[in-house]
Amino acid sequence: MTGFFSVFTVELLNSGIRLATPVILAALGGALCNKAGVLNLALESMMLMGAFVGIVSAYFVGNSYIGLLIAMASGGLLGLVFAFLYHKYDVDLVILAIAFNLIIQELTVYVMRVMFGNVGSWSDPSINRIPDIEIPLIKDIPVLGNILSGYNIIVYFSWAVTIVMYLVLYKMKFGRHIRAVGENREAAETVGINAVRIQTMALIISGVLSALGGAFLSIGHLKLFTRNMSNGRGWTAVAAALFGANHPIGTALASLFFGLTEAFAVRIQNVTDLPPNLVELLPNFATLIVLIFIALREKLRENNARRRFRAELRAEEQQKAAS
Amino acid sequence: MALALEMKGITKYFSSTDVQANDNVNLTVEAGEVLALVGENGAGKTTLMNILYGLIKPDSGEIFINGEKVQIGHPDDAIKNGIGMVHQHFKLVPSFTVAQNIILGMEPNKAGFLSPKEENKVVKELADKFNLPVDPKAQIRDLPVGMQQRVEILKVLLREAKILILDEPTAVLTPQEVKELMDVVRQLAKMGYSVIFITHKLIEVMEVADKVSVMRAGKNVGNKKVSDTNIPDLARMMVGREVLLRVKKDTIQRGKPVFEAKDVSVSDVHGLAAISHVSFNVHEGEIVGLAGVSGNGQTELVEVISGMRPLDGGNLYLNEQDITQANVRDRRNAGVAHIPEDRMEVGLNLQTNLDENLIISRYNQSEFSKFGFLLGKSISRFAETVVKSFSIAAAKPGEDISMLSGGNLQKVVVGRELSGQPSFIIANQPTRGLDVGSIEFVHKTLIEERDRGAGVLLVSVELEEIMALADRILVLFRGQIQGELDAKTATEEEVGILMAGGKLSDLQTNQAKSGKESK
Ligand SMILES: Nc1ncnc2c1ncn2[C@@H]1O[C@H](COP(=O)(O)OP(=O)(O)O)[C@@H](O)[C@H]1O
Ligand SMILES: [Mg+2]
Repeated sequence: MTGFFSVFTVELLNSGIRLATPVILAALGGALCNKAGVLNLALESMMLMGAFVGIVSAYFVGNSYIGLLIAMASGGLLGLVFAFLYHKYDVDLVILAIAFNLIIQELTVYVMRVMFGNVGSWSDPSINRIPDIEIPLIKDIPVLGNILSGYNIIVYFSWAVTIVMYLVLYKMKFGRHIRAVGENREAAETVGINAVRIQTMALIISGVLSALGGAFLSIGHLKLFTRNMSNGRGWTAVAAALFGANHPIGTALASLFFGLTEAFAVRIQNVTDLPPNLVELLPNFATLIVLIFIALREKLRENNARRRFRAELRAEEQQKAAS
Repeated sequence: MALALEMKGITKYFSSTDVQANDNVNLTVEAGEVLALVGENGAGKTTLMNILYGLIKPDSGEIFINGEKVQIGHPDDAIKNGIGMVHQHFKLVPSFTVAQNIILGMEPNKAGFLSPKEENKVVKELADKFNLPVDPKAQIRDLPVGMQQRVEILKVLLREAKILILDEPTAVLTPQEVKELMDVVRQLAKMGYSVIFITHKLIEVMEVADKVSVMRAGKNVGNKKVSDTNIPDLARMMVGREVLLRVKKDTIQRGKPVFEAKDVSVSDVHGLAAISHVSFNVHEGEIVGLAGVSGNGQTELVEVISGMRPLDGGNLYLNEQDITQANVRDRRNAGVAHIPEDRMEVGLNLQTNLDENLIISRYNQSEFSKFGFLLGKSISRFAETVVKSFSIAAAKPGEDISMLSGGNLQKVVVGRELSGQPSFIIANQPTRGLDVGSIEFVHKTLIEERDRGAGVLLVSVELEEIMALADRILVLFRGQIQGELDAKTATEEEVGILMAGGKLSDLQTNQAKSGKESK
């Protein structure tokens, strides 16, 4: 019985980590943009772009790794265009993001139909999924080896990005300048820091990361593109960055939480009689609850403080009345 | 020796606002000299300094540093030429430490990696060199304004500026902080630095400057040695007419109490007492001055009285009616007027026009709307009368107000609040950031309201203002009333000691009442 259980949890963790990977990548990109003071709600479109470009270029080039690189480049380009429209024409960030999300969603479907004649989804037997890699030494550690090893390169890369982003933001000059721009742009500019350049780079990097996350879906996890493949994960990433207070480690952990919820929802469908449609909603519910919690956190704290203060006042009064 | 700085014939026209902001302005500063640059709001002081700092390109004019002509097209050029500017609104990163802010943009690093130790050391040495002690590791957001300003000054000094521009540095400081700043400025001058000190408080000019340049409507209308001039003289040059620096006030008989606060307590966001057990009243025909160093609960108290924040204990009465639970609108309808301390954020809506700003507190009265529709005609008529009776210059009904100067914006607020014959007026820092002419106007208006029979609660961190207007003085310290004084007999020392948290008995009785002399 215990043996069965340990396999069960490790497997759950495995698929949780896999499902978290695209969210981690996009959320780190989003957090970086937030740190640089430029709200990026276009993560969803960048991810979808990466998913589509990744599989299509893997198909044409015949190499999925090169497919990944091209997907990343496409995401970076999207970030650059976003930055250009924002800085040059002063387009509102929210409107810009809505436009991007709508356009990319329609564009991928359109191109898919024109190129492959399909409307819903597309795949080709010649495409190779990015292979899983066992890490020597680590894979032999009992239990932990199974949790940490056996994923494809994108998963490991997402972990590396988490750590590198932490180091850059908090230990390096470039990162400090990013944070300065995000917190007080004028302060940064008056000492000669180029805020436009920094925000542009943040947007490009977030595009690269989100697109890699998207490519993970189409050629890392499956080998298939479906319309609207990102399916809200870009928005989950926005929530994860918020939940993680835009700190790389916190953001990665928040993403992992969402990944685990999704994995759990998949598992639970096999073991309960609950209608599958309902269970599929579980991750969305988790996101909703987290968002409400984020929104209310400050308010709740203030209300508690006030309640405490009033109680103290009343106690004081009663004491006075008694004596 | 050549002049440290000479600006010649600087001219700048803003087509967007159709203002001749600088009109053939000349200005000189020597090394080791403090030059005060004074003028009313909108006189063009900031524009002139922005030109010197490379933020604005002049239409014509020349700049000489140490006798040599220079071109300054960008702040980098200014920094290279030894010019540093501390802006009116600080440019600091709140979550960064003191050291991180001072060193921003020029961090010592190894292959891009920072060294906090090295940073703190550099800043410590800099602070020691100029005798401006700071804690390099403290976060900016935890520091009082005066300390933040010191960080800004150090930031400029680290970039090896020899000419320091301080744009209205005292506007945000407490009296104690102002004193400290003055000492810093004098000390820098002694070390050979030139300081351009922008202000519209003339008393500061007399205290800190060697020389003074006066600007009015974009023109340089006078350059004088401070020893050759005096405050009334400077005020006349600034405003272009005689001004009353202290408005005339008759003694009148006060009436019955109009407002009463009974045992009021309020918590801050952390659940600590912001106001605790405060009781006082305001009578008809009386100005009660609430003095205190800012941050001692004034904001919270005013928000509670005006109805913007719930109180946690105690009661409020207006004309003997309990208004503790009444909302803002009910209180206003009952005769409360509120001139808030922040006219940009709370007092006005800068996105809309004059008319809407004037009726925003009474748009739903039958005079201005019917069945939910606004009555444009009667609104404009009302706006016109307010503009006239409060002489809001340059404002036309129906026009956007965002381009108005600070003084005129405040007149819009005052006009709206006082045109309904309120019985109780809360005036929170009503002259903050205003120039001499506008201050005179606001003071006069408040006294007129008092004479009409309104009760006025004047909240101010300016001791001068309290002494000039109040009939009775309350001093707020750490959320409690530290003491009450009759304005007729109170001295500045007495109020000062209460503001600092002391007791009147601390003052020696033989001290002469010297602070009460009137200029
Ligand atoms: N960037 C700008 N564009 C248009 N008008 C401006 C600009 N900056 C200042 N002005 C106008 O120039 C005049 C002088 O302003 P300013 O130099 O800020 O005065 P001061 O600092 O003496 O209060 C004001 O009428 C102001 O409205
Ligand atoms: Mg100014």
